[in-house]
Amino acid sequence: MRLRRTKLYLPGNNPNMLLRGHLFNPDGVILDLEDAVAVSEKDAARILVRDVLRRGDFGSCEVTVRINAMDTEFWRTDIETVVPCGIDGIRIPKVENPKDIALMDEALSQIESKAKIRVGKTLIFCLLETALGIWRAYDIAKASRRVAAICPGGEDLRADLKTTRSPNSEELIGPRRMVVLAAHAAGVDALDTVFADITDDAGLRRESEWVKQLGYQGKSVIHPNQIPIIHDVFTPTAKEIEQAKKIVEAAAEAAARGLGAVQVDGKMVDKPVVKRAEFTLQRAGLKAGGEK
Amino acid sequence: MKTAQAGTLESMDCIVTVTEAEKGRGISIVMEGASVARFGEAMVKATKDTLKSLGVRDIFVSIQDNGAGDLVLKARVEAAVRRLAGGKAA
Amino acid sequence: MAINAAGRNIPDSIPGYGEVRHFKGHDRRPPEGNRFGKRNRTAFNTRTDKTLPDIKAAISASGLKSGMTISFHHHLRNGDFVVNAVLDACAEMGIKDLVIFPTALFGVHKHLTKHIKSGVIRQIMGSVNGPIGQLASEGGMSVPVVLRSHGGRPRAVTSGEVVIDVAFIAAPTADKYGNLSGAVGRSACGSLGYAHSDAEYAQCVVAITDNLIPYPAPCIHIPQFFVDFVVSVDSIGDPAGIVSGTTRVTRDPMRLLIARNAAKLIEATPYFRDGISFQTGAGGISLAVAAYVRDAMREKGIKGSFGLGGITEFFVDMMKEGLFERLLDVQSFDLAAVKSIGENPNHVEISADWYANPWNAGCAVNMLDTVVLGATEVDRDFNVNVNTEADGALLHGIGGHQDTAAGAQLTIITTPLLRGRIPCAVDSVYTVSTPGEVVDAVVTEFGVAINPRRQDLINAAKEAGDVPLVTMDELIETAEKFTGPMSPVETEDRIIGVVEYRDGTVIDVVRQLKKK
Repeated sequence: MRLRRTKLYLPGNNPNMLLRGHLFNPDGVILDLEDAVAVSEKDAARILVRDVLRRGDFGSCEVTVRINAMDTEFWRTDIETVVPCGIDGIRIPKVENPKDIALMDEALSQIESKAKIRVGKTLIFCLLETALGIWRAYDIAKASRRVAAICPGGEDLRADLKTTRSPNSEELIGPRRMVVLAAHAAGVDALDTVFADITDDAGLRRESEWVKQLGYQGKSVIHPNQIPIIHDVFTPTAKEIEQAKKIVEAAAEAAARGLGAVQVDGKMVDKPVVKRAEFTLQRAGLKAGGEK
Repeated sequence: MKTAQAGTLESMDCIVTVTEAEKGRGISIVMEGASVARFGEAMVKATKDTLKSLGVRDIFVSIQDNGAGDLVLKARVEAAVRRLAGGKAA
Repeated sequence: MAINAAGRNIPDSIPGYGEVRHFKGHDRRPPEGNRFGKRNRTAFNTRTDKTLPDIKAAISASGLKSGMTISFHHHLRNGDFVVNAVLDACAEMGIKDLVIFPTALFGVHKHLTKHIKSGVIRQIMGSVNGPIGQLASEGGMSVPVVLRSHGGRPRAVTSGEVVIDVAFIAAPTADKYGNLSGAVGRSACGSLGYAHSDAEYAQCVVAITDNLIPYPAPCIHIPQFFVDFVVSVDSIGDPAGIVSGTTRVTRDPMRLLIARNAAKLIEATPYFRDGISFQTGAGGISLAVAAYVRDAMREKGIKGSFGLGGITEFFVDMMKEGLFERLLDVQSFDLAAVKSIGENPNHVEISADWYANPWNAGCAVNMLDTVVLGATEVDRDFNVNVNTEADGALLHGIGGHQDTAAGAQLTIITTPLLRGRIPCAVDSVYTVSTPGEVVDAVVTEFGVAINPRRQDLINAAKEAGDVPLVTMDELIETAEKFTGPMSPVETEDRIIGVVEYRDGTVIDVVRQLKKK
């Protein structure tokens, strides 16, 4: 399991952020070729993003690129340019059809084998920014083994739902619940959308706490100052860490002694509880996470 | 004369403007910005290397720099040259 | 020629400066001589009004002649009218070859370039910036600029190394008998700390005010017995340039990242405890460090002892909140600080002598736990450059950099590793302003490098676990990976600037830039 508390968007035509964005220590960076880049600058951004990827200095961040949507003329050139650089994944906007994901899977495989990259290495992160996309969330998540996470949209989704933003984003309660349900049913991560008001630290904290409670693994981030707040929310408390350590240690001890059942404080502990405890330590940064 | 441009004047970026030159005129480069005093030679080299790899022999290049490193400068030169070739002239 | 303790090759004598005392390391030059000060004088009770009609009358009365040394303070910062007005008057009166000895100059003083070119000003001893620095760097002054720190300057004055013939003191409020206050008046600037030694030691003291009030003035910062003449003018400065309104903490993520790294380091050290004393500048990163440290003090219930140096609203609020007992204020940066120094007995004005002079029985910086400072460059030996820019031009003064670094238990330099393509961590700084032996840590967006001399701090940071430690070699390497190698600055042999360490030895020189 990989830690995905924060995924920071880096505008694809902005050298300063592309080169230094990882210094803010998000769990992942998203080099953005889509909304952050004007149509007239797509070509220049693609070259810049390619060269920054080739340099490949992103600390311990998971590196993904948000490509242009599959109904545009850009997406094929996007993946042909960035995938050979050996990225961790692509983020596809406005996904609403599982068939598109299958098509993408095939296209990625071709590029990977041509570039002598392990076929299947490039993960897919799906942005579900329409009602239809949300409705098909489970099928989309299941459309390829590459799918690592599904993410509900924000403003685009509101527009598609023919509504507007309310202070507590009540209009997104339903979609967020559907996505988190579909994600866990399909065995992928649920990652939440961005919090748009970059000056409202209290609002960001409230929303992060809420989506964490729903079952999300993290949020996308549009401003570096949001990262410490989200990490704080998604990082377990001292009490939670203490309990998780106890469980993981007991499980290790039981395994060493060849016992199937794990006991903590005189109570039997199930396997999922051990798994959750491991995840808690991972979130706390006390246990290495995922593939890296 | 056809001209094309790429880049911005944001921090660590530069604007590269390229203009067609007649065959045999070679490469001429003009530069301005705070890093020119200490990185002028490196900037000329990065520009020429990029032009060479793109097969460009005759061109006029103007760089307005705001702290771009070689990586960014090269990407901007490449984007500008491709725009010039692709007819996306400014 | 000699290689000094900062590794710089310095001649034994510099034209226009004289014999060089070589820098031998921090705290290596013992104090010499005595304090005497100005010639004695008396004012009989028949002269109870020191006012004169205008600046020219004061210049005549002061006995100022060509070739003499005149001084100014910089409490009016970029709003100051007085320096320009006095030099205009000198020019009109045919006085030339002056040595000006300001505590600092600002952008507004670019007006002086015409007096440099016409020979009214021969030399500047003090910080230069902007166009004047550029002019000096290109060889536009016949005598080198002499740079001293805020503590080195009063040391030079009180020891008699520099004799001030006439001190012109801008006073936001004065009475006719020469009591001066910075706390009140339309041009109020708060503390007059940098002017004290000048008032005490100059052969003649002229106060220039735009708020002449009946005797005696309130909130007296400089008392009547130092002041010879008082001149009332329409305006001594532009309030908008004297003080800033409210001081806000930056939202710039890169600066906040650096500040957070610095605050983590401070919290990891043993100095973060009840009684902590603290100094930061008013710059973006410094103030953000103060904000993070304040939050940590609140959270851990820590109460500090004093805040020092240039005081901002931020420090005033911390004192009001009980996070500091007292503020020792040599310079008040904003309206809230100006108001506070006039009202709150725990907000104490201190002179530059008191603040930072290494040659007295103990200056305030010696009691400082932590200081957060900036830099244009740092190097492998932790030497810091604050004076010259990447192109080799002399553009900034030393300020209190050397003094607070020397005095504080924990000296932290905060700087971005990259300013555009310009690297801020290099193999060897172009100019040594503050020697690495008094610098403890360099904090950048790419991590925190602690001086290997401070193994205790390295251990403390490791134990805390959340300080992103790197070595200086790693910082330099990271910077170079981004920027590539720099071409050297091309200079002439001629020395246009002399950087003194706070003890009066020469730590480095700045040479004239080659014409392009």
